[in-house]
Amino acid sequence: MSPDPHECFHDSLGLLNRLDARLKLVFAVCFVVCVVGTPAGWWKLLGLESFCLALLIGMAGLPPGRLFRRWLGFFFLVGFVSLLVAPRHPARIQLGLSGVVLLTLSKNSMAFLMMLLLAGTTPFPKLLCAMRQLGVPRTLVTTLQFMYRYQFVLIEELGRMLTARRARSFSPRGLPSWKQLTGSIAMLFLRTIERAERIHAAMISRGWDGTVRELDA
Amino acid sequence: MADDGELPIPAVRAIGLEYRYPDGKSALLGIDLEILPGEKVAIVGPNGAGKSTFLLHLNGLLPGRSGGSGALHAHGSPRAFTSNDSSSAPSLWIDGIPVISRNLIEIRRRVGLVFQDPDDQLFCTTVLEDVAFGPLNLGLNRAEAKLRAEQALRRVDLLEVAQRMPHHLSFGQRKRVCLAGVLACDPSILVLDEPTANLDPRGRRRFMQLIRDLPTTTIIATHDLEMVLELCPRSLILDEGRLIAEGSSRDILSNQSLLESHGLEVPITLTYQRDLELRQRPIV
Repeated sequence: MSPDPHECFHDSLGLLNRLDARLKLVFAVCFVVCVVGTPAGWWKLLGLESFCLALLIGMAGLPPGRLFRRWLGFFFLVGFVSLLVAPRHPARIQLGLSGVVLLTLSKNSMAFLMMLLLAGTTPFPKLLCAMRQLGVPRTLVTTLQFMYRYQFVLIEELGRMLTARRARSFSPRGLPSWKQLTGSIAMLFLRTIERAERIHAAMISRGWDGTVRELDA
Repeated sequence: MADDGELPIPAVRAIGLEYRYPDGKSALLGIDLEILPGEKVAIVGPNGAGKSTFLLHLNGLLPGRSGGSGALHAHGSPRAFTSNDSSSAPSLWIDGIPVISRNLIEIRRRVGLVFQDPDDQLFCTTVLEDVAFGPLNLGLNRAEAKLRAEQALRRVDLLEVAQRMPHHLSFGQRKRVCLAGVLACDPSILVLDEPTANLDPRGRRRFMQLIRDLPTTTIIATHDLEMVLELCPRSLILDEGRLIAEGSSRDILSNQSLLESHGLEVPITLTYQRDLELRQRPIV
């Protein structure tokens, strides 16, 4: 089976792929904290942080096109939010409106790209294992595990539902209408609840008693 | 274990097993049956007959009550399974153990259930973790659970995909991993819900070969009557929550009027055999 296009991990020969997942996770979190904590107006420091990030992306060997496409989707969302918060931002007097928007966009983009870098250089099961070893609560890690596992199932199911709707609609437009999309999402939500019950039954049938137990330490 | 000369304790015994869904619809209306250890038994019937509902009782996922009115329980919810109703006795036994709430751990240790949709059963991020899920819950330590999981994957010929993620596997591979996940718990009774549904012919044959080679008591709910003829010497017909007929698979599945009156058809194999016999009959 070919890799799923929704997968983040890129199996390459980049240097970062070989590093310990715990090290990468701690570094990524520290980097994000540093970026978020960079005071407003400290553009040189932000520039240095972005240079470090660019260097790491280069070392990782990730396809730049894929990174750019994913960042673009995030960019529009955070751009919209930054335009909303800029007028009341505390740094508006110091930086001006455009300065605040640029600050918000650059900080959020760097944090997002660092997380993409982490996901692209670390298989998700290894990331979960690293989280467990670093003391992240087990319930949270198990929740993430399920979220990751079933996102592919739900994306496939939504795709099938939209295809089925398209096959029975007579509109020349390729995209579903808002009504179709929201109806499909509502139906997907109901099917997800039913699937969750079946998954729970499958877990109980194999002796699960609510305690999270993992194979990796 | 029964003494010499006595009949063995049935692997599965049901007496007056009833179940009603929370909406009031009756799913099982007094099922009486016995399945002996080592038997391979097929449960066939039309859609909505109660096959899957019956299978969920075997693992204790659904409760059963004998008597007239069964208590309503949430479907698949173990919390609703209580034995507080003093007017009802257990109606299902696994290896002689009544299926009641205080025995559920032991029941689930003995009965391995393979669900129809593998995506309902494969919930871990890697295949090995998923197959080791059951052994870990049984109390084995990590090393033992890993060994059991690897042995189970070897049995289904999928050890090489141990570190892969389930969504990277084909449908047939996922089905086999589900089987491995249940075999890793070393059950004495294997229960399969539509095991060959949606499998291509090669996947189907491969899965059937795996089931054929297993020595455990096997109960299969299925519409694949050709598979029933090959694997299961004994068959039960369920329809509208009732046990309609039971007997040798060949006899049951060659009874055209019985099958057609319960939404089934004589398998092609038996139809061809019958036609061949008719053609070879001497003309008098």
